[in-house]
Amino acid sequence: MESSLYTFFFVDPWPWWLGGICIGLLVPAMYYFFNTPLGVSTGYRNILKIMLPGSKLRYLNSAECLDVFNWRFFFLTGIIVGAFISARVSGLAWFTGEMGIFTTRLDWSFLSQAVWFLGGGLLLGLGARIAHGCTSGHSIHGIANLDRASIITTLLFVIGGIITVHLINVFVLGGM
Amino acid sequence: MLRKLGFLGCGIFFGFSLSRVGASNYDLIYGLFSGTDLKLAWVIITAIIVGYGGMRWLHWRGGRGYRGQVITVIKKPLSWLTPVGGILFGVGWGMAGACPGTVLAQVGEGKILGLFTMAGIVGGTYIYAWLVEKGLIP
Repeated sequence: MESSLYTFFFVDPWPWWLGGICIGLLVPAMYYFFNTPLGVSTGYRNILKIMLPGSKLRYLNSAECLDVFNWRFFFLTGIIVGAFISARVSGLAWFTGEMGIFTTRLDWSFLSQAVWFLGGGLLLGLGARIAHGCTSGHSIHGIANLDRASIITTLLFVIGGIITVHLINVFVLGGM
Repeated sequence: MLRKLGFLGCGIFFGFSLSRVGASNYDLIYGLFSGTDLKLAWVIITAIIVGYGGMRWLHWRGGRGYRGQVITVIKKPLSWLTPVGGILFGVGWGMAGACPGTVLAQVGEGKILGLFTMAGIVGGTYIYAWLVEKGLIP
């Protein structure tokens, strides 16, 4: 019994409802304890500012990021640590070049892969800043608070994703 | 310091949940947008409903936190540029198979390619800062 419970929580992928409940509870919990909205992407400004400490760019010198080691830094660090723990308890390898069908169905060189994911990241970073939030800030926190901007933005996230995956099917995976 | 440790704890809980449910799995993002595996859609919808219920509950309790502090929810700005950002983000989400939160989970799990997505997001944030500096974006 004990080992099957361990397997359920720590080895097998969680069912959708368990993940949904845990992630959803973070929204009210972070308000209840810290009066802070759930959100990740703004924290990348902290990382950027740590890399460019002397930058004069106005965006990196606004009042909200005077302290780069504010709550956002700790929250982002926690996500990495939490996933690290998840990988350890479920017995994954320490490092892997795997990225789902992207690496099982394609045999791109490491350089091509790096450029592809760097490009995807650039769009994520720029897009999130222009839209004032990402999946956690808009799609989960924003819609849970019935924010009109978040509902519109999430629809566009999904439209962009669907178009991209269809283009990947046709031009990269070759009509899967 | 206790507050910062609290956020570290929230992050650990978030990262652990994202990783355990498979939000850091490229194939599940691919399935979400190709319509072949909607598990993550159900995760997001459940999270929204639970988050909404929790916020209603906090409101019903008088909109106050554990020490009685007033909870303030600020709506996000909406302009003609917001949809542009949304589409750019969506394309990046489809390409990288991750969003700014789940890529941190990928990196924590030891997925090397996630590091490039992460570096790209930092770069994209820099491009935004530069566009703001030049007055090209309000």
